[in-house]
Amino acid sequence: MSALEQPSPAAAEPVLRVEDLRVAFDTREGLVQAVAGVSFAVAPGRTLGIVGESGSGKTVAATTAMGLSRGPRVRISGRVLLDGEELLAASPERLRALRGAQIAMVFQDPLSALHPLLRIGDQIGEAVRAHRSDASRAAARARAVELLEWVAIPDAARRVDAYPHELSGGMRQRAMIAMAIANEPRVLIADEPTTALDVTVQRQILALLRRLRDDLGMAMVFITHDLGVVAETADEVAVMYAGRIVEQAPAHELFAAPRHPYTWGLLRSMPRLEAPAGAALVPIPGRPPSLIDPPSGCRFHPRCPYVRERHREVEPALEPVAGALGHRVACLLSEAERRALWARLAAGATPEQARAAVGQAAPAAAPPAAEPPA
Amino acid sequence: MAAYILRRLLWGLVLLVLVSLLTFVIFYVLPSADPAQLRAGRDASPATLHEIRVSLGLDRPLTVQYWTFLRRLVLHADLGYSYFSGASVGSLLLDRLPATISLTLGAVVVWLVVAVPLGVVSAVRRGTWVDRLTAGGALLGISVPVYWLGLVALYLFASDIGKVPLLPGAGSYVPFSKDPWTWFTSLILPWLVLGSTFAAVYARLLRGNMIEVLSEDFMRTARAKGLSERRVVWRHGLRAAVTPLVTLAGLDVGLLLGGAVLTETVFGIPGIGRLNYDSITHADYPVIQGTVLLAACFVIVANIAVDVAYAYLDPRVREA
Amino acid sequence: MPRPVKRALSLLTLCTTAAVALSACGSSNTNGGTGAAADNGAGGHRGGTLTILTSQDVASLDPGVTYASLDLNVLAATERTLYAYAPDDPSSIAPDLAAGPPQISTDGRTLTVKIRRGVRFSPPVNREVTSRDVAYAIERGFNPNVANPYASTYYGDVVGADRARGGPIAGIQTPDDHTIVFKLVRPTASLLAQATVLPLDAPVPAEYAKPFDAKAPSTYANAVVSTGPYMYAADRGGRVLGTGYVPGRSLTLVRNPNWSAGSDKRPAYLQGITIRIGGSPTVSGRQVLAGRALVLADSPTPELVKQAYLHHRSQIFFSPGAGTNYAALDTAIPPFDNANLRKAVAAQLDREQMRRVRGGAVVGDVGSHFLYPGVIGFEQAGGQQGTGVDFLANPQGDHALAVRYMKAAGYPSGRYIGGQTVQIVGLAGSPDSDDAQIFQQALQDLGFKTNLKLVDSTVMYGRFCGVPKARVQACPNVGWIRDFADPQTVLDVAFNGADISPENNPNWPQLNDPAINRAMTRAEVTVGQQQRANAWAAIDRQITATAAAIPWLWARQPNIFAADVRCVPELWNQGHCDFAYTSLK
Repeated sequence: MSALEQPSPAAAEPVLRVEDLRVAFDTREGLVQAVAGVSFAVAPGRTLGIVGESGSGKTVAATTAMGLSRGPRVRISGRVLLDGEELLAASPERLRALRGAQIAMVFQDPLSALHPLLRIGDQIGEAVRAHRSDASRAAARARAVELLEWVAIPDAARRVDAYPHELSGGMRQRAMIAMAIANEPRVLIADEPTTALDVTVQRQILALLRRLRDDLGMAMVFITHDLGVVAETADEVAVMYAGRIVEQAPAHELFAAPRHPYTWGLLRSMPRLEAPAGAALVPIPGRPPSLIDPPSGCRFHPRCPYVRERHREVEPALEPVAGALGHRVACLLSEAERRALWARLAAGATPEQARAAVGQAAPAAAPPAAEPPA
Repeated sequence: MAAYILRRLLWGLVLLVLVSLLTFVIFYVLPSADPAQLRAGRDASPATLHEIRVSLGLDRPLTVQYWTFLRRLVLHADLGYSYFSGASVGSLLLDRLPATISLTLGAVVVWLVVAVPLGVVSAVRRGTWVDRLTAGGALLGISVPVYWLGLVALYLFASDIGKVPLLPGAGSYVPFSKDPWTWFTSLILPWLVLGSTFAAVYARLLRGNMIEVLSEDFMRTARAKGLSERRVVWRHGLRAAVTPLVTLAGLDVGLLLGGAVLTETVFGIPGIGRLNYDSITHADYPVIQGTVLLAACFVIVANIAVDVAYAYLDPRVREA
Repeated sequence: MPRPVKRALSLLTLCTTAAVALSACGSSNTNGGTGAAADNGAGGHRGGTLTILTSQDVASLDPGVTYASLDLNVLAATERTLYAYAPDDPSSIAPDLAAGPPQISTDGRTLTVKIRRGVRFSPPVNREVTSRDVAYAIERGFNPNVANPYASTYYGDVVGADRARGGPIAGIQTPDDHTIVFKLVRPTASLLAQATVLPLDAPVPAEYAKPFDAKAPSTYANAVVSTGPYMYAADRGGRVLGTGYVPGRSLTLVRNPNWSAGSDKRPAYLQGITIRIGGSPTVSGRQVLAGRALVLADSPTPELVKQAYLHHRSQIFFSPGAGTNYAALDTAIPPFDNANLRKAVAAQLDREQMRRVRGGAVVGDVGSHFLYPGVIGFEQAGGQQGTGVDFLANPQGDHALAVRYMKAAGYPSGRYIGGQTVQIVGLAGSPDSDDAQIFQQALQDLGFKTNLKLVDSTVMYGRFCGVPKARVQACPNVGWIRDFADPQTVLDVAFNGADISPENNPNWPQLNDPAINRAMTRAEVTVGQQQRANAWAAIDRQITATAAAIPWLWARQPNIFAADVRCVPELWNQGHCDFAYTSLK
């Protein structure tokens, strides 16, 4: 739990504010701690990108914010405030009234996320009529056509009667976006909206989302595992690992001067234009940790090339980085060490080389399941 | 679509010819009762037996008999005359058909009305007492023989022999045109009895489908849109889960229209099933052929209807 | 031509209940204290409609075609034959259409019958019945389109019958409208007189029926007219099919407006009779016991018989004279071509036990010869005491005697050691299968190796027992029922060597004893009831003595009816309630 930072000067009051959200699932194998204390805020007209690999808890955090995770075996704590209204404690009726109207979500695979047997127009119209009881069928249908045109689907008047499988991947995602913004929500959460699409279509969808965000003044939360996409769309980025945010910074700052070994691993494992030619891609060794029995101390320590004994015992908190506004990181390494390591890594060194150069001793014990560098 | 249906119907006709040939072979080639012998009694002289055979046309070679039958059927739409009663087979079938249709359609309504809510509720409330109760009831419904269930129903509720006289007893069926009220009340027990087995099967089937559907992504999307839970379950969930059930129901209706002999016997309903059974006992070949062809017709039409319905219900399978 | 026993007698559990002492179990008391009694129908109430429940359809309404038990029951109310039986006297023929007793010439070759005046056909024919109508009825039996099963057997001795194909027969003469004369080639007029109780001679109007009889098969049944107190409901054109008779569904009898009570002994109390076809005997039986104005035409299930016997005793009638059940042994092939072996088996068999598994004394008497109570000649053949042969003297069997016969057959140990396995074919389903197993056990107790096959009735008769080539050594579940009271109908076809045929063989033991064959030929032409009784009784004794077949039951058929039905059972027809005598209380 950390104190909230001063929000960036250009932003207005955040529309969506999540404070120390914890979500655990009671399963037969044990208590799965999917989200272990996540806090963030998004202001209207701004995009927060949440990055992480699968199992990091990013989707669960988002769906919990919408109130879609509730169930008999789910333990939720913390606060989610939408325009100051506490959502976690809200009644089911209130949540239903807000979902699709004030806060909406776009899902990953539109072919499975849209109902296969209902027409697009009906599904969009449904979203309209759910929140406007006075809307007639004809009016809802007209609005559906309007929305489809807004998301740049050609021949919208005919396409409105199509079934999801009759549209291409890109158009399906546009339709889903149209459905989400039907009632002009204040917050739009997009959960990997481009993952199932090819690259050219991706760009179009990202551009569309940006346009809509600006037209409607929405606060957008963009969840992805793809750093390239984040770089394009997000104003601010939060990196999640094992149910926690390990680094959070404005987008350009994150890419210019990342402070967390995990983030370094993510960046170094991506092909980059500015990396020296011939530099090898460095994957992050090991696998995501078990959420039932997470590692002690720093949750990343089993996979961190720069781990120290102390890291196995002490849990790092999300602390501001000195000298960088809006940048916070949860790591026990010193700032100086981090800067030095990153300088080496950015120049093309492997983690081992960087470690040696900075004068770190080899880790006390080899990280479990470590793979030799490629 | 029209071309597709036409093509299927033509194949259906071919199939009907094959069915009639198979029936013919089974009846004449495999050992069975001899209609002439049944008519004459076991101690008729060979001469008398021969006379009877000639008058029934049984003395001619098998191929000639079959060809005569086929020609008469195709050219004159004439199924021949019963060896047993002399009545025309067509008139016998027409006479019995309304009863079978009444029985079948009512049973379908019963089983859908029972199975759909139970299937949905036991899926949505999986693991609760509702689910367990439905599972137990379904097990009973599937295991209990229809004949026994019919007898028990009569012994409990029939107005003439039942412990709690509520509904008309066996043999009280009258055609709708004669007395709609008695027609209706005399069919209530048969509908419930016949429908119960199917209801059990369909409820379990629907439950399985619904459980799968409930975990589908589009269900989450529907909730994310802010739709009421009831709408999510019934319009989105059921709609996706029900398609296999509709096609199965179509096939079952086709089969039942061929006659539900056990139910018809217990309740004394003069339907096609009982006609079929009686004709077999009497070695009444023309009627056997008639009932078998009629049943085959219904199954073929049901199959076509079901395929068309599936294309209508699930737009993903439509070709172009 | 006698018929094999068709209604299944199945009373398995009747005597296996420990609690209630069914006094009939084990006792030889035949009719006392067991259910309703025979009735002559006098003094009943007029009016009401009787409903008959049957799961089996009628075979045909054409009197020239059918002779199944239920059909005879219906025809007894709608057709009048020259002679008929009163419901309570199955032995003596009484005039029905005839005006008086049959006149038989001394040489037995001429039968003259005077026909009553004033008997009219039902609408649409309406006119008075003449002797020509009786003649045509018989002649059409020889028409291949009608193909009556017993015409050649009983009317075959009429002059010209051998060449008859439906046209006039020379030996049937009608000197005037109310006299019919039969001229025969052999002196069998006594038999012919008795044979007229069968429906073939029920009058048929030639001018009305000829168009129907021209079709193959004849469609006269669809528009049959009646002479009895009841007729089939018909449309104005006389068409019965579809109105009075809906195949597989119902049969409706209404009063014949042209019937006059003065011309008939039948009281005809009922206003109408409805026969409901279909349903299951289990349910129908319950409905009859609990309902009103209902009669069950099916054979009741064992549970039903028990229930009726215990709780509704006045609603069940056990009708004697339902035939003889016996075990036929194939005398043409080993091992039962050896008479001593046959007698050993007969002595070994516990016939009392065979009866017990069917329900005990209520289901009938233990049989000891082939003529049964109600058939003329029964008493002369020995009656209930039996013919006197030692191997049938003890109803429970006599093992010591059986061993003696085995020794006499050439097996000094008393057990069979030959190589022949005995193939037994019986009826599937309790209690017939139980009887087959008791029989099998008796054989095994004598050392025979056996192979038991249980099949359904049509298959048993049609493919095994009735086909000599099938080489079935023993058929324990066969039986005969008479066509009418004359003993010839029980013994002749079933045991005459001349009747053995390669398929549909009625002489199941294939008995071909020249002495017996000659005796039968002589007895066929014996004239006079008493003489015939003596002649056929002697033959009965002879057949019994050969042990070609082992009689074990003189069956009684249970019949069930509702509490308000005063059923007058037809003792000549398995106890079916006679519609023309029955009334509602």
